[in-house]
Order: sequence, then C-alpha cells, then structure tokens
Amino acid sequence: MAAGLPRRIIKETQRLMQEPVPGIVALPDEGNARYFHVVVAGPSESPYESGTFKLELFLPEEYPMSAPKVRFMTKIYHPNIDKLGRICLDILKDKWSPALQIRTVLLSIQALLSAPNPDDPLANDVAEQWKTNESKAIQTAKQWTKTYATDN
Amino acid sequence: MSDEMKSQDSDADSDYDQSDHMDDDDDYCGYYDNDTDDLDIDKPKKSDDPEYFDYELLQIEDVERFLNEEVEVLCSSQKILPSLAKMLLHAHDWKKEYVIECHSKNPSKLLIDSKVIPKVKFQQPISGPSLVCCVCLNQVSREMLHDLSCGHMFCGECWDAYCQVQIQQGVTLGISCMAKDCEVMVPEDFLYSVLSKPDLRDRYSQFSFTEYVKSHPALRFCPGPNCPIIVKAKEAKAKKITCNTCKSCFCFKCGIEYHAPTDCDVIKKWLTKCADDSETANYISANTKDCPKCHVCIEKNGGCNHMQCSKCKYDFCWMCLGDWKAHGSEYYECSRYKENPNIANESVHAQAREALKKYLFYFERWENHAKSLKLEEQTLEKITSRIQEKVMNSTGTWIDWQYLLDAAYLLKKCRYTLQYTYPYAYYMEKCARKQLFEYQQAQLEAEVENLSWKVERAEITDRGDLENQMDIAEKRRLTLLKDFLDY
Repeated sequence: MAAGLPRRIIKETQRLMQEPVPGIVALPDEGNARYFHVVVAGPSESPYESGTFKLELFLPEEYPMSAPKVRFMTKIYHPNIDKLGRICLDILKDKWSPALQIRTVLLSIQALLSAPNPDDPLANDVAEQWKTNESKAIQTAKQWTKTYATDN
Repeated sequence: MSDEMKSQDSDADSDYDQSDHMDDDDDYCGYYDNDTDDLDIDKPKKSDDPEYFDYELLQIEDVERFLNEEVEVLCSSQKILPSLAKMLLHAHDWKKEYVIECHSKNPSKLLIDSKVIPKVKFQQPISGPSLVCCVCLNQVSREMLHDLSCGHMFCGECWDAYCQVQIQQGVTLGISCMAKDCEVMVPEDFLYSVLSKPDLRDRYSQFSFTEYVKSHPALRFCPGPNCPIIVKAKEAKAKKITCNTCKSCFCFKCGIEYHAPTDCDVIKKWLTKCADDSETANYISANTKDCPKCHVCIEKNGGCNHMQCSKCKYDFCWMCLGDWKAHGSEYYECSRYKENPNIANESVHAQAREALKKYLFYFERWENHAKSLKLEEQTLEKITSRIQEKVMNSTGTWIDWQYLLDAAYLLKKCRYTLQYTYPYAYYMEKCARKQLFEYQQAQLEAEVENLSWKVERAEITDRGDLENQMDIAEKRRLTLLKDFLDY
C-alpha cells in the first residue's frame, strides 16, 4: 500500500477483500490505492440480471469528508445513469456522510439497478421512456444488458 | 451610526416640498440650497408619494451591530446562548417575536424543528477507556470524541477535517452532523472549538454573515459590483432603492433593476422572455427608419419620439410613423396595442402570429424607451456643455440654467417609469382596468415626448413653459403609479 494512505482507506480495503459484498467485486488498482476496479452483477429479477457491469471508483483527497467518485464503464440503459456512465444518487452528492463507506455506496448502486427512479432522472430520454412505456423500456434495458454487459 | 448613515428619507425638509407647483423632489424649489445633491432628485420624500420608501443604507459594521442586537434580544428574553439564538433566528427568517413565542411555549418542539436537537438521541455504546471513531477508524480516548446534541461521536480531528471541507465547498450555516441521515446542525461555537485553521474561521464568519443578511427579510445587499452597502428597510416591499455609494438603482424585494409599476414576478418573466425572443425582435427594433414622407433614412439620435425629418421637415412620430399633429389631440394613440377581437376563431398558426405580433408591439416600445434613456444620457452631457457655453457668453448665470438640468433629470425618471409600464401592460388581462392603464400610459407617453422635445430645444426664455411641462409630466407619472403600483 502507498505510504501516507489513511488508516480508514486501508481498513476499508482490507474488509472489502476479506468479506466481499455478494455480487460485487472491488479491487484496488496496483498503482493507485485510491482507484478501484469494480464489477457489479446485475441483480436478479431486474432487467440487468445476468449482466456484469464494470465501474470505476475513486477516493478523492478529502475522502471520507467528501464522497467517492463513481462511474459506470459498461453501457447501461437506466433512467438514473447517463451516456457517460455518471450516476444520479443522493448519497454521492448532497446526502454524503463521512460515516458511509465504499461498501455502502456499492450496495446503494446495486439497489439502484433493482429499483430505477424515473422521477429523478439523469438521462431524460430514458426516464421519459420509462414513464410512458415501462415494458418497452425494460425490454431495451434487457437488450442492452445482453449486448454490452454479457461476456460471450 | 454615523451621521451620513442616518435615514436618507428624513422628513426634516418636507415642509420645503409643499410648494404648489411641484409634488415631489426638493430640487426644483430648493434651488439656491447648496446642500442638495442633483442626484437626490430621484428620491421621493413624502409619504403620499407612491414611490416613497423608508430605508437606510448601512455599512457592514452597522449590520453586524444590528444583527447582534437582534440576537441579544432573544438571548436575554429566553436565557439562551448567542450561538443557539443565531441558529433559531436563521432557521425562522429572523422572526424574533415568533421564535420567542414558540420558545416560551414549547422549547423542545422549536429546537427539533430548527434542527438544533434530534427527535431521538443516539446512545453510543461506550465500553472501556478508548473507542473507535467510525470515520477515521482510529482508536481514540473518550475525551477526544465530541458529539452534537444528537449523540453521534467522532474524534476532534475528523470534525476539524469535515468542517474544513464543508467551508471550502461554501457550506457554512448548513453544516450538519457527520452521521448518516442525521440533520442536526453544527452550531457556531462547536465549529469554532473544532476548527484549527484561522483563515477558515475568517471565511466561515464572512460566509455566515452573508447568509444571515440574505435570510433576513429587512436586509438586502446592494447589487452593485463590489459594493459593500447593505440596505435595511422595515418592510420587504418592491420599492426603489438608490445606493449612495455605487449609484445603483434597484428593487428592495427582488434586487434587480427598479421596475415600477410592474411587479417582481412579472418583470422576471418579461426579462426572461426578452432574453429568449429578442433575436426575433432585433430586425424590427433596428436603429433606423425611413421618413414616411420623403423616405430618407433617419437615425434616431435623441430621446424624443417626435421626429422632424431634416430633409423635408415633416413632423412625425418615431413609433408609428404617423403625422405628429394627430398625436397632440386627446391621447397619444401610439402606446395602445389593439388586440384582434376575432382571435378565438382563428387557426393556431394565426394565433401564434398574433401572439408574436403582440409581443413585438410591447417589446419594441420597451426597447425604444431603453434606447431613448441611453440617448438621454448624452442629452444630459450636451446640456451641461450648452449651459457652460451660455454662461461663458453671459446669457444668464449657472443658477439661471439650473432648471434645464433638473428638467433633464426629471425626463429620465419619467421615461424610466414609462419603459416599465410596457411589461405591465403586456401581461395585463384585457379589461376595463387595462383600458384605464393604457389611457394613463398614453397620457404619460405624450407628456414625456413633449418634455423631451422641449428639453432638447430650451432657451432661457422658455423656463416657465418648461417648468410647466415638467409639472405635467411628473403629475401624469405619479397618477399612474398611484393607481397601479401595489402598495
């Protein structure tokens, strides 16, 4: 581990390795202990089921006083995630608390995949589709999961 | 409070204003009085004036003293600490009577509503002499842990780092407890006890002062660039404030340019609309028009809408290009937009065209007065040099010519009000009241143009005539404001 890394980050990383969250893999980058390669499995009974989604997570200098920065690397059709993979999630913004952890953030993202919230959209076109024609939206999300989030 | 900071609207010289020819502004009659500043002409002095507003222009120190006095009242009445008093006042828009009432009746409800204490206190399990701070995960001794009224304990270093980051992100009075979903606010004294960096303490005190001023209904920062003045008024009304430091003239309620008789919401809507639509309107509000008689191209180079073609000497109105003589009669037709009565029966397309036409009609007049106001500035400069010249040639003295400057200031004021009548009329429903408004607007329009024409051409012999015209124009302006400005 890099010198000068806060005890908090070291501890969190250790726990993530020892007791991983089901359905989530988070590995620190070899060259940068503040940068994590994350893989989230699509939750069952969601349109993202059986997909694997790659994310990047970065702990800024002020962490845990300010929120980690998280982004989807895998294309996903979701009303709260935009084309660039940016996520609209309150705890990553104004509802961040230093008592939250990388683990809790990833769990919240997993929950967001199970329960999209089209009333607080980031991707407006997707949210619109979600509200006007939900079954078609879910169809598209499944299709995208197959195309972009499945290995074979 | 220093002397020059005292109320600008003192009634001390109101007797002086009671002259029969002028309703307003001391300058016309207080003509030999060297104390009067020419710019004071904009300041209404009497309580029957619809634009009259009682306010003070304060420096930062004065406002700090004023806020401390408010806090002191609450502290001594309820026996609480200043830090808590500030939180309560800020949370309730500085309604101190309300806060005192609630605090006497049910203090714990007020404290919960104000996010000073939690609904339920958190019981941190304490075992042994040392504990783990759940933010940095370090083992620390019990006395290094601090909590707010909610009971969530964190170590001093984490509190310090957290407050630093919050202040750097511009959050001051809104800093809450570090625990997830805990809304309890960090009080000022707690913050100062954990914050280690002196420069951030200064920044906190500056930012929180700004927030106190913004949340206080009786205070408003002067919107002038880098202007340190803060206005204080008893009532939060949409009235005119003139800053004596930077000369900005703005509305107390919303802080944008003064806009009587239009109210704050309407002017905001209008300005947004103009910002969106003005490109469409640009072609129509171009700076030149052709003479309706000889078709020579004419550029408007003065504020007056009464044009005289320099080539064929035809007198016409810049707005409608009609014969000027027709405007002298009962009222000035040009300011009234005639709505098409058959509109309901026409197609959507025609309605859209009609809506655009209506907007352009009002926009053009609004824009025209705004441009005229700018040109009026130049007229003022021209008048100053003309007076200089006249005085040098011994045609009257500086005092003799003073009336012309007064006339020019009054003209500016009238035209300003006139400009702001157009957004008002645009959003007005078609009804009898609108007819009255447009009638009065037309009257003011006519008198403003007469005054503009006379100011541009005044000679020393015209003084009586000009003063009479000033009186009429100002009376029209005040009548319109009295009838349509919401008190």
